[in-house]
Amino acid sequence: MIKDFIKTAFRTLLKNKGFTAINVLGLALGLATCMLIVFYVIDELSYDKFNTKTDRIYRVNSDIKFGGSEGSFAVTPAPLAVAFLSELPEVKQVARFRSWGGFQVKKGNQNLREHKVVYADASIFDIFTFPMIAGDPKTALKDPRTVVINESTAKKYFNTTNVIGKTLTLNDSLLYKVTGVIKDIPKQAHFNYDFFLSMQSLPESKENSWVSNNFNTYILLKKGASQKSMEAKLPKIVRAHVGPQLQAVIHKSLDDVEKGGDYIRLNLTPLNDIHLHSNRVAELNNNGNIQYVYIFSAIALFILLIACVNFMNLSTARSSNRAREVGVRKVLGSPRKFLIAQFLSESILVTFVATVIAVLAAWVLLPLFNQMSGKELMFTPGTFVWLAPVLIALVVVIGCLAGSYPALFLSAFQPIDVLKGKLSSGFKAGWLRNFLVVFQFSISIFLIVGTLVIYNQLKYIQHKDLGYKRNQVLIVHNVYAIGKQTKIFKQEIEKFPNVVSATLTGFLPTEGNGNSTTFFQDHTMDSKKALSTQLWSVDEKYIPTLGMKMISGRNFSKDMSTDSAAVIINETAAKKLAMADVLNKVLYYPADRYGKVIKPVHIIGVVKDFNFNSLRENITPVILTYGDDWGAVGIKIKTANVAALIDQIKDKWKALAPGQQFDYSFMDADFDAAYRTEQRMGTIFITFTTLAIIIACLGLFGLAAYAAEQRVKEIGIRKVLGANVSKIVAMLSYDFIKLVLISIVIASPIAWWAMQKWLQDFAYRQNIQWWVFALAGIGAVVIAFVTISFQSIKAALSNPVNSLRSE
Amino acid sequence: MIKITDLEKFYRTEEVETIALNKLSIEVKKGEFVAIMGPSGCGKSTLLNILGMLDDPDSGSYVFNGVEVAHFTERKRADLRKHNIGFVFQSFNLIDELTVFENVELPLIYTGVPSAERVKRVEEVLDKMQIMHRRNHYPQQLSGGQQQRVAISRAVVNKPKLILADEPTGNLDSSNGNEVMELLTDLNEQGTTIIMVTHSEHDARYSHRIIRLLDGQTVVENIMI
Repeated sequence: MIKDFIKTAFRTLLKNKGFTAINVLGLALGLATCMLIVFYVIDELSYDKFNTKTDRIYRVNSDIKFGGSEGSFAVTPAPLAVAFLSELPEVKQVARFRSWGGFQVKKGNQNLREHKVVYADASIFDIFTFPMIAGDPKTALKDPRTVVINESTAKKYFNTTNVIGKTLTLNDSLLYKVTGVIKDIPKQAHFNYDFFLSMQSLPESKENSWVSNNFNTYILLKKGASQKSMEAKLPKIVRAHVGPQLQAVIHKSLDDVEKGGDYIRLNLTPLNDIHLHSNRVAELNNNGNIQYVYIFSAIALFILLIACVNFMNLSTARSSNRAREVGVRKVLGSPRKFLIAQFLSESILVTFVATVIAVLAAWVLLPLFNQMSGKELMFTPGTFVWLAPVLIALVVVIGCLAGSYPALFLSAFQPIDVLKGKLSSGFKAGWLRNFLVVFQFSISIFLIVGTLVIYNQLKYIQHKDLGYKRNQVLIVHNVYAIGKQTKIFKQEIEKFPNVVSATLTGFLPTEGNGNSTTFFQDHTMDSKKALSTQLWSVDEKYIPTLGMKMISGRNFSKDMSTDSAAVIINETAAKKLAMADVLNKVLYYPADRYGKVIKPVHIIGVVKDFNFNSLRENITPVILTYGDDWGAVGIKIKTANVAALIDQIKDKWKALAPGQQFDYSFMDADFDAAYRTEQRMGTIFITFTTLAIIIACLGLFGLAAYAAEQRVKEIGIRKVLGANVSKIVAMLSYDFIKLVLISIVIASPIAWWAMQKWLQDFAYRQNIQWWVFALAGIGAVVIAFVTISFQSIKAALSNPVNSLRSE
Repeated sequence: MIKITDLEKFYRTEEVETIALNKLSIEVKKGEFVAIMGPSGCGKSTLLNILGMLDDPDSGSYVFNGVEVAHFTERKRADLRKHNIGFVFQSFNLIDELTVFENVELPLIYTGVPSAERVKRVEEVLDKMQIMHRRNHYPQQLSGGQQQRVAISRAVVNKPKLILADEPTGNLDSSNGNEVMELLTDLNEQGTTIIMVTHSEHDARYSHRIIRLLDGQTVVENIMI
């Protein structure tokens, strides 16, 4: 019997090749897309899960409001770890990381630039699951000047993993003994380092300063300890340790600070939440965003729904053509269950074929998707272990869902009614199909609006006036590698004819370097008149090289000896200071970590605000001082032959810093890189939206074909009575266009609400314009009309004699 | 074999009630070949549908083989139908997706005949109807006459006691029509009771008796010699 069902199903499907192709293609496309997104989402959700103790690991964070600004930090004071371990019985182990930017690591005569380097406590191996290939996790990193590296790094520097006791030279002078080799950390980790330097090597780690936050601190709780009960004890820790030091620096108690509305708080983030839920200052890595997981999951679901709706719609539409067959079978004695089984086997067969094609398509498209999403997803035998049952379930569910209507509805009819054709009017289930078409197009319009808004916002970011000019600015990184001749390097470069100017500082807006401190308006360090701000050392070429504008006052000058105690502040800082005229006013700031040395500076100018944070955030106060920072050289150039100029600069670098890696980038590319996540998301969004629309159109195409087929007699009669082609096309299109219009009305407010929410994440955003909805609406109508036209024009052009005769 | 008494059937729309059968009483004996004639709308097809247990009457009695079936449930009627009645339609009503063989086999599947037996019986019938050579063709590949032969094969494969034919030659040319009528006559001669609705006086002449209907009532019965 089952053989009979499948045989009939095959023949029916082959007979209606067009419908079958639309069904299979639409469903396969939908399933493939859905599968890719599910891979992405699963990958995002799997971060840090490789740690066997993941449920008991937490990161300690600080939330600080002080001096008019507030921030959430992923870092804490250095001594916090010890305090936690000794004062909180729930804590089983603590470990700290201190990131320190990049290092030069010697390989032969060459210095290689390594960015994935971090200082770490020896206890990281008690907390995180980093299997060690060589060395003893208990003793590795216990001593100063020891380093644990991963497998790839061991092979890169020594061509073997048998490297215990060997030495690595960092920054030309620091010798580190390799005491352990761990397996490469999985990609799905919220931090990923190649070098772990022992924390003992870093003097700062032993300092007892509770007012500077530089250490990412992780704790392992004892079994049964809860986050809540732990967090309840944290205010006490702050009071006991931060309070006294605050008093010493700003001469105010913690209570007084809190009375003024400021605060210093600690809290915990579970390890499992860091990747998707944490976006704090000083994260160890750029984290993901749960919003994107939600958005993509929704898109996957939408696409799958659209594809299923197509399938259902076409199946129900086509089912009326099957009525006669059902009638005949019933007259011949077929029980209802046979008919139900037959319809279900047909739709399950289609779903099955579509699923097989979808798996193949997903497999073929995975590299492309990886390129788009920046992921490294793979089909592995393990994938199929969970994918196969899911797909089988999906085949059955979708197959039954799509086949259920014709199966249950048609099989219930009296054979005599079916044979007499009585069903044709009532049984088309027009309302259901209309509802489903509206549903599909609502989703499509929602996605079109979403795409337009995202596209607009990305364009806005790219073209926004940032307050500095990032085009034609070349950055040479890590110029401190040159040593004492750094300034000479900069001066030599400035002599090149194609160089407009050059500035020596690591505090370029795209470099992401920060140095926060607090300025006070009087020497008593009254916290009410405090200003939390960035403090950047720059030279006199900084403002002209970056094309920044002075609003008042003047730039630094080599010729003014008093400029060593002068500062230029940005507009935001000026506003926060709330002085009538900031020029020539004096500010005070602590020049050491303990606040014992107070330095006065005077304001000589105000620079127009420029963006240095993400455009998701508002501009914060920046104070520029006239001083040395050898992080990088920013070079404004004026040439079409950039390659030649880079060669010239590189030659100069080689002459001054032989053996040191020459590392450069372009400021505009760095800027774009900062928005790569957004851009990737934008590309993925646009791609999937297009797919969703294509799938929806496939369905509409099929439905239009069906409608034209159903109304072939009516069209014939109308033509005989004098209707012309355009009238017929209009008549056939009207029914569908009406549904699209309803969809526009439904989707627009929902899309507006959702995209408004997305945009709220950006401090600098393009508000949603009315034309976005107009464009989405017109787009949907045009797409729908073109899709339908293929069928309606064909129907309208057909010879009425044929259609009337066939009736 | 069949006895209907005071059979009534109404068709109602929201505003109009039409009487299709008006206190109709007819008896058909086993082995008879009866033709039902009358103008369009006289109730011929309605009568045939009720006789075939595809439809139920609003009132009156229908005794089939000594059993009152007028108020049988759909399931019971279906069961009785598939074992006792074969249908031949004007428009053949073959299933396009099935081959000649499979179309004829269908009633046997539904009555639970084992596979080997089915093959034997279908081949027997196809042979008798002289369309064995077309067994693997699809209906669209056949002429109208051949399609109706397949339909008749399908109607008789289960060896029904009664064949109901609704204008069996309506879609055929005269020579094909005659062939079909010959086939029905043969079947009748072998003992199958046949009730046939027709517009054609020519076809009606093949029957033993003509029942003429008008407005749902019998107006005259002609006995053919």
